[in-house]
Amino acid sequence: MNAVVLPVLLPLLTAVGLLLWGRPSPARRMLAAGSAAAQLGLAMGLVVRLAEGGWFILPVGRWAVPYGIVLSIDLLAALMLTLSGLTSLACLIYGFFELPVRWEHPLRLPLVQFLVMGINLAFITGDLFNLFVAFEVMLISSYALLTLEADNWDIKQAYPYIAVNLVGSALFLAAAGLVYALTGTLNYSELAQVTAGMSSDPRLLAVVLLLMVVFALKAGVFPLYHWLPNSYPTLPLPLAALYAGMLTKVGIYVIFRMLTTVLPHDLAFVHGLLAWMAGLTMLLGVLGAISRNYVRGILSFHILSQVGFMILAIGLFTPLSLAAAVVYIVHHIVVKSSLFLLSGIVLVLNKTDDLDRGANLWRVTPWVGVLFLAQAMSLAGLPPLSGFWGKYLILVAGLELKEYVLVAVSLVASVLTLFSMLKIWLGPFWREDESVTVQVNDSRWRPMAAVVTGLTVISLMIGFGVEGVFRLAQQATATAMDQPGYALAVQKTLAEVKAKGLNP
Amino acid sequence: MQLDTSILVGVLFACGTFLILQRSFVKILFGFIILSNAVNLLILAMSGEPSRKLAPLMTGESGARVDPLPQALILTAIVIGFGVTAYLVVLLYRLFLDHQTTNAADLYGPSKPPEDPS
Repeated sequence: MNAVVLPVLLPLLTAVGLLLWGRPSPARRMLAAGSAAAQLGLAMGLVVRLAEGGWFILPVGRWAVPYGIVLSIDLLAALMLTLSGLTSLACLIYGFFELPVRWEHPLRLPLVQFLVMGINLAFITGDLFNLFVAFEVMLISSYALLTLEADNWDIKQAYPYIAVNLVGSALFLAAAGLVYALTGTLNYSELAQVTAGMSSDPRLLAVVLLLMVVFALKAGVFPLYHWLPNSYPTLPLPLAALYAGMLTKVGIYVIFRMLTTVLPHDLAFVHGLLAWMAGLTMLLGVLGAISRNYVRGILSFHILSQVGFMILAIGLFTPLSLAAAVVYIVHHIVVKSSLFLLSGIVLVLNKTDDLDRGANLWRVTPWVGVLFLAQAMSLAGLPPLSGFWGKYLILVAGLELKEYVLVAVSLVASVLTLFSMLKIWLGPFWREDESVTVQVNDSRWRPMAAVVTGLTVISLMIGFGVEGVFRLAQQATATAMDQPGYALAVQKTLAEVKAKGLNP
Repeated sequence: MQLDTSILVGVLFACGTFLILQRSFVKILFGFIILSNAVNLLILAMSGEPSRKLAPLMTGESGARVDPLPQALILTAIVIGFGVTAYLVVLLYRLFLDHQTTNAADLYGPSKPPEDPS
């Protein structure tokens, strides 16, 4: 199944094409958007074909495990690929409207493609070291994008982001080396077989905790999140939306993948630790959001709070809570990106996103207000919007396990989320101030709002069609947790390839 | 041989961590370089005791060979580390040009709390 490599190959070839093209032009933008659309179509096709479970597996270069790298796509990976295609497409088109082509930095689009390539590789890889490479591709592109169009102030904020992530990368590499020393393999399916009986081995616990530190750092879990809330607001807005939607979610996806597909399922200590760290993350994240006074700052802190919900769902580690985590990730990526894109519209209309200086948006441009309300209420978790179902499932799973404290914490965090969303609402949207002018004549905001409308419709569809999403999430979780089935599928693919001639 | 390497890795990790916790970004950069080398050495040690083993080459000789996979991993890691270090040096230079300092205490001092970037 050679098509497995396409989600990585497509952005790579597009990036090279864009680099060779050189100068920004409308046609060059079409190439970038076309590539993202093609990825979206491909990933949706994969979701349809994998909806009943199963794997597409490719041993790269026909090398046998453990020498070669295995790429594999299951339903969970296909869902994540769909979301990364959707987010990058929306952010690219939004960016085309936001920034006239003559002001575009020639490296922006190629770097976005490299970023997407790293993200996609992290989703489909079946090898721990290859995952490290995927993270590095993703992070180096993200460093470059963060500093590409940065001014003095932005550069200052970028340095902690880079320094912290570099330490994370070094620890990841060390953890990968230790895993290899402990088990003699880096392949996911072989790791699952080797570690199956080792769950009480303290060496395995040590390595797993080191890995969890690394991934929690990338995901932005307490106490490892301080690099995030000051660096994201410095990005150009379409990129901030892409980062907010996808980057931390890669960390969460990898934690999910490790705990379900790779590691034994009875690591109760690790799961419990994650759940409690998640509780603190959601509380401190939302408190940080309340302390900020500009829209992008509030939204950046909310990423952390929402990460807490997803990690909590993973930490509870029942089939229901894991499916809830998948539902929540699907909802969150769409809603969070569209909220960031909305803050860009606020920035265009009011020329600021400071809560005290913006005003009049509800009176002059009610449609933007409607979009914001729909997505903000979804983020806070009001029924019947998509956020409600994710939170509802997590709370049900928590109550089944009698984790009353964590359930209470997440309810408090939800109320505070609603409060901070109302804070934004009362600022630029609801407040009326004759001295503040709204730039309705700026022709950019209508097409930008159209893009956000598209995303809002998708998130409403998730909310109203939650049963279908939940079924997909359940199937994705079941496939991800089916370690024997995955090992069997890998062996079968290797045997087929061997019949055609295998490298030594 | 393994014990020597372990001690060296430990010392390098300690030095790297110490440097990364300093306020000067130049020291942080050197800390990162030391840290990535410590990690590379750690992975090298993971191929096991190398004495009396053959190099992993197809020479026709028979006998135990050193595990080649960690070496392949290090090769990749060195290339990535090199790229990142080059990027960091340029970023540091840009930081210096913009702010005439590379000291975190001057850059993020108490007089300048996080402000509205807009």
